[in-house]
Amino acid sequence: MKHLFSLTHPIHLVGGLILWAVWFVAIYAGLSVACSMAPPDPQRGMLTGINIGVGLSTLVTTLLLLWLARAGLVAARRTSVLRERYFAHVSAGIYLFSAGGTLFVGYPVISLPPCL
Amino acid sequence: MSDIKDATLTPEIQRLHKGMDEVWGNPKGLRALTVVNHTSIGLRFMVTGAIFFLIGGLLAMLIRTQLAFPDNDFMSPEIYNQVFTMHGTVMMFLFAIPILEGLAIYMIPKMIGARDLVCPRLTAFGYFCYLFGGLILASSLVLEMAPASGWFMYTPLSSGEYAPGPGSDFWLLGITFVEISALSAGVELVVSILRTRTQGMALHKMPLFAWYILAMALMIVVGFPPLILGSILLELERATGMPFFDVAGGGDPVLWAHLFWLFGHPEVYIIFLPGAGIVSTLIPVFAGRPIVGYGWVVAAIVIMGFVSFGLWVHHMFTLGIPQLALAFFSAASMLVAIPTAIQIFVWLSTLWLGRPRMTLPMLWIVGFLVIFVLGGLTGVMLALVPFNWQVHDTHFVVAHMHYVLVGGMLFPLMAGLYYWLPQVSGRMPSERLGKWSFWLIFLGFNVTFLVMHWTGLLGMRRRVFTYDTAMGWDLYNLISSVGGFMMSIGVALLILDIALHFRFGKKAPQNPWGADTLEWAMPKPPTAYNFVSLPEVETRHPLWENPELSRTIYEGRHGLANIQHGRRETWGSDALTGKLRETVHLPSNSWWPLFSALALAAVCVSLLVRVYWVGAVAALVAVVLLLRWSWENGAHPKMAPEASLEPTEPPLHYRTMNGPGVWTMSVSHLANGSLYLSLLFGWFYLWTVAPEWQMPETSPLSMPLLVLAGAALTLGTFVLAGRVRRLRRRNDAGLGGGMYLTGVLGALQSALIGVVIWQAELAPTESAHDATLLVALIYVLLHALLGAILCLLQGLRVGYGLVSAEMPLEPVVVLRLWHYNLVVYWTLFVAIWVMPTLLGGA
Amino acid sequence: MAGALAGCAGEMSILDPAGPAASAQFWVWWAMLGVSIVVALVLFTLWLYTFRRREQPKRTPREEQRIMLRWVIGGGVLLPVVSIVALLLFAAPTGRGMLPLPLPVGEAELIEVVGHQWWWEVRYPGENGEGDVVTANRLVMPAGEPVDFRLTSADVIHAFWIPRLGGKRDMVPGRYTTIRLEADEPGVFGAQCAEFCGAQHTGMLLHVEAMERDDYDAWLAERRVPPEPIGDEGDAVRAFGEHCAACHTVAGFPEALIVDDVTHDIVGPDLTDIGSRPTLGAGVLPMEEGAIAYWLQHHQTLKPGNRMPPHNHVDTETLQEIGAWLEAMDP
Repeated sequence: MKHLFSLTHPIHLVGGLILWAVWFVAIYAGLSVACSMAPPDPQRGMLTGINIGVGLSTLVTTLLLLWLARAGLVAARRTSVLRERYFAHVSAGIYLFSAGGTLFVGYPVISLPPCL
Repeated sequence: MSDIKDATLTPEIQRLHKGMDEVWGNPKGLRALTVVNHTSIGLRFMVTGAIFFLIGGLLAMLIRTQLAFPDNDFMSPEIYNQVFTMHGTVMMFLFAIPILEGLAIYMIPKMIGARDLVCPRLTAFGYFCYLFGGLILASSLVLEMAPASGWFMYTPLSSGEYAPGPGSDFWLLGITFVEISALSAGVELVVSILRTRTQGMALHKMPLFAWYILAMALMIVVGFPPLILGSILLELERATGMPFFDVAGGGDPVLWAHLFWLFGHPEVYIIFLPGAGIVSTLIPVFAGRPIVGYGWVVAAIVIMGFVSFGLWVHHMFTLGIPQLALAFFSAASMLVAIPTAIQIFVWLSTLWLGRPRMTLPMLWIVGFLVIFVLGGLTGVMLALVPFNWQVHDTHFVVAHMHYVLVGGMLFPLMAGLYYWLPQVSGRMPSERLGKWSFWLIFLGFNVTFLVMHWTGLLGMRRRVFTYDTAMGWDLYNLISSVGGFMMSIGVALLILDIALHFRFGKKAPQNPWGADTLEWAMPKPPTAYNFVSLPEVETRHPLWENPELSRTIYEGRHGLANIQHGRRETWGSDALTGKLRETVHLPSNSWWPLFSALALAAVCVSLLVRVYWVGAVAALVAVVLLLRWSWENGAHPKMAPEASLEPTEPPLHYRTMNGPGVWTMSVSHLANGSLYLSLLFGWFYLWTVAPEWQMPETSPLSMPLLVLAGAALTLGTFVLAGRVRRLRRRNDAGLGGGMYLTGVLGALQSALIGVVIWQAELAPTESAHDATLLVALIYVLLHALLGAILCLLQGLRVGYGLVSAEMPLEPVVVLRLWHYNLVVYWTLFVAIWVMPTLLGGA
Repeated sequence: MAGALAGCAGEMSILDPAGPAASAQFWVWWAMLGVSIVVALVLFTLWLYTFRRREQPKRTPREEQRIMLRWVIGGGVLLPVVSIVALLLFAAPTGRGMLPLPLPVGEAELIEVVGHQWWWEVRYPGENGEGDVVTANRLVMPAGEPVDFRLTSADVIHAFWIPRLGGKRDMVPGRYTTIRLEADEPGVFGAQCAEFCGAQHTGMLLHVEAMERDDYDAWLAERRVPPEPIGDEGDAVRAFGEHCAACHTVAGFPEALIVDDVTHDIVGPDLTDIGSRPTLGAGVLPMEEGAIAYWLQHHQTLKPGNRMPPHNHVDTETLQEIGAWLEAMDP
């Protein structure tokens, strides 16, 4: 099991995107449930608990993914096995993409009211 | 360079070839129906798919004839609605997916240096499911009872009240049947690619095409179950009145839209990825150099595979979902532009750094690029929510999706067809006729669909059967129709070209295009066993690095060059490194796949004509047949005439603890889990969103009985896991007893769930709440039964000496099912009993 | 369809915007098209150029790697990232005008539209407890101010779309969704059902008229006047009660004359002001003298599959009387 956590294992090709997907499902589900249970008054615009919650989760997820991307690069530099370096590099790239993707998808919370 | 022609064949090698032909060869006559060989089945898939393509194309021509002139009364609206519904359905479900699966089934073992896919009988079963499902669906056209609600079958338009005829039933049953085929192909392609690559082919050394197919297969496995669930629910609603999608009964029609597009969007990428895989295979060959940025492409494939599951709502931008949620999906849709652009620029730089040759396959690749890029650009436009609100459901969208699908799938497929034709037939395609057909199809396509963007912008909706001349759409529609007919002529020429080439084509050399992958190391026409000996491959470009390979393979100088034992064998290798792990012993020709598929077809037809008791009997027969089929496995004498091995060869797979069967079970559970998650999604979705949802104050389910059933399941899993742990220590004492005990515990669990259902007195036709509960309980009940039956059969097999310390694989496989059942049961308990009890009737 | 979908439904072109929401998308479209053409042409040229070159310089693997990275990072990463960030920042906010956000002053006019197979019910909510004004297949709205359309459906999913004013929105049974649109000037616009809704999806058109505020108020006021009760004299009235009133409402129609012997529960359009409507059958036939009688006799040929049962059992004379009586229904 331990080698699965090493960033040189190909499982990390999908790690970043799994995190992204879980986050994506969580914010979409959370938003839908919040809007059907307790929709905030449209007068309040963007300053609602929902927007702040989604915004914070976006930042946390982005930072986590960025950290993993960096860790992948470090792992690639440390290993001498060609195969491991290869997977660590590609995984780091995908972690970076996932971080950007998270920020990009979460960005609209600063410009849209949640439930309209 | 020397090839097969120059091979020196000693009498011993000749005997080897002859033996291989005997063990692997296809029988003739009626027994051809028993063939399980991937080459034959792959071809059958592709030919059947091509026939459905012609049917779909014919329907398209009917549509274009109707729309050629304003106020045309060539077809009545009822017929027109059937025609466009079937055009979409046939092209998507009966042409695009199966023909690409066929290509993958045909090509993957050859490219990764294996002799067959890992579950050959499943391949054959999948083909028959596809064939019968397709025939059922197509027959509705002949009967003039075809579905007429559009290919995405939105409820309530497709439900009993607004579509009372059998059209929707044809769609739901036929498509589900075809999807079984897609799933079985998906599962075995994943396992084959991961576990049966030839010796030394590490994950990062396999051909890019295998990466694309791996992603496609995994996406099928995860992406198809939501639609299967949706189809089951809708068919239940139509047949029995359970109101899953009916607002008045506590359901919600938008749930269907979610389930459909949860499948429907990934499906677009399931179609595109193999197409892109063909492009990534051909471009390096015709540029005469390895692809640059292999890692970039792998990253792009992985990203596409994931992100495409986060886009489904972009088909639903106008459905009234909160704007902020739309923004998430809009952004995710735009993100796909990045992996797409990465691939396009990888291809461009490969051409830039190589010396590209313009050949017929390459011409189709250039056509692909032009059309697909245009479709991609309009795709980015459509991802923009406010613009989407304008053009959604107009001919602009019709034009966009044809650009993406025809550009992304048909053009690469044609490139692949011309490229691999010599591999299949041993003859070269003609250059002249092929070019004519390319230009007719390419120009005809653009004439049809480029102008259609404009028609859409002028306000023409999709799916209208006619229009008024005052709208000013006459000329554009006429142009589109002319282009459509041009394209048809091109397709006719293409068929002619292919047909003629079988007779008049020049004999193809061994490696006519100078390719790098293993399928060109095979004899032509291909042998059923692909390679007489399995080479060691440690490079991405085996034929470029070792041009002698086709000869040395043919001379039997590599692995598994032995047929005395009469077994069909291929390597089982480590998923990551490609190191040898076991000798996989593959099953041979059999009637079981055909008979099982026939029984399932009988189920479908009897549901269609609503004679439910026949359906129940047929379902029972199907289960018995499938179990009987599973009996002839592993160490069964019919499977294994002999178990002896060369001393250098790794052990037979059923004599290990981690053979491909374990992987197949795991990947199947990925599909099963996706179905289960879709069901949970439906439960929570209806609970929180459906306007008229009724949650009773207290749960109608008996908690003590549910917990007791769960306890039986948990105990059974412990017993089974204990036996497997002992097997790992090569100890099979008490194995049979343990198996029977587990089976009994499974039966107890099933019985208890049955009592829970009986006691709850649910009213599934009255409320969506009760209907969903019932479906969820039946789901766990069926799994409990399956777990019990498999364990009891294992007990029997221990008695027959088919499972023992030497042959420990099967209990490991069954344990996977029990683990799955355990997770599903307890999470379901939390979802349907604990949470409603804690949160109360809301 | 003889005579066809009446041209009087008006223009449907997205490229001829008549309101702020549609104008914004009009400009977004041309801007996106411009960028797309440049991107596509550059890409095609580069691609074809690679086939044309004769000489290929010798390059070391390191040089090749550098060239590849330049292409892939420049074209594969930066180009799409810059494009989609620009879209997100500049184009995505253009849709805000269609959201029912609070206005700085006052409230937007609210009109309810209900989709039916295959016609439109239009309701103007009554104020202070009075009943709604109900009409069908004709939507009158004030020009020069935002109007909120509250949408739902009585049967399957439809979509409400006035192409020249702005985006479409689905009408989902059991739910209400709102879209805000505005017409710059008074005028006549076409509208159509955009979500496929069955046999006569094609024949589901809506006639939209934007009026000056004063005209709009007057139009509405005319219809807010409680209708005078209709006397039960006249063959047409009795025939209407016998053949039509089970599905169709006419305000003030005497209860006693309604014969409800139908087994289905289909609702037909409210006919209270039918004489003032410009089309019949949701845009299938222009309204003129004798048109209603013609429609009543031939509606299944004019709009095959529509939900009104054929009138073969009613003699032509009666249908003509009903038609003439209905044509006079104009407040």
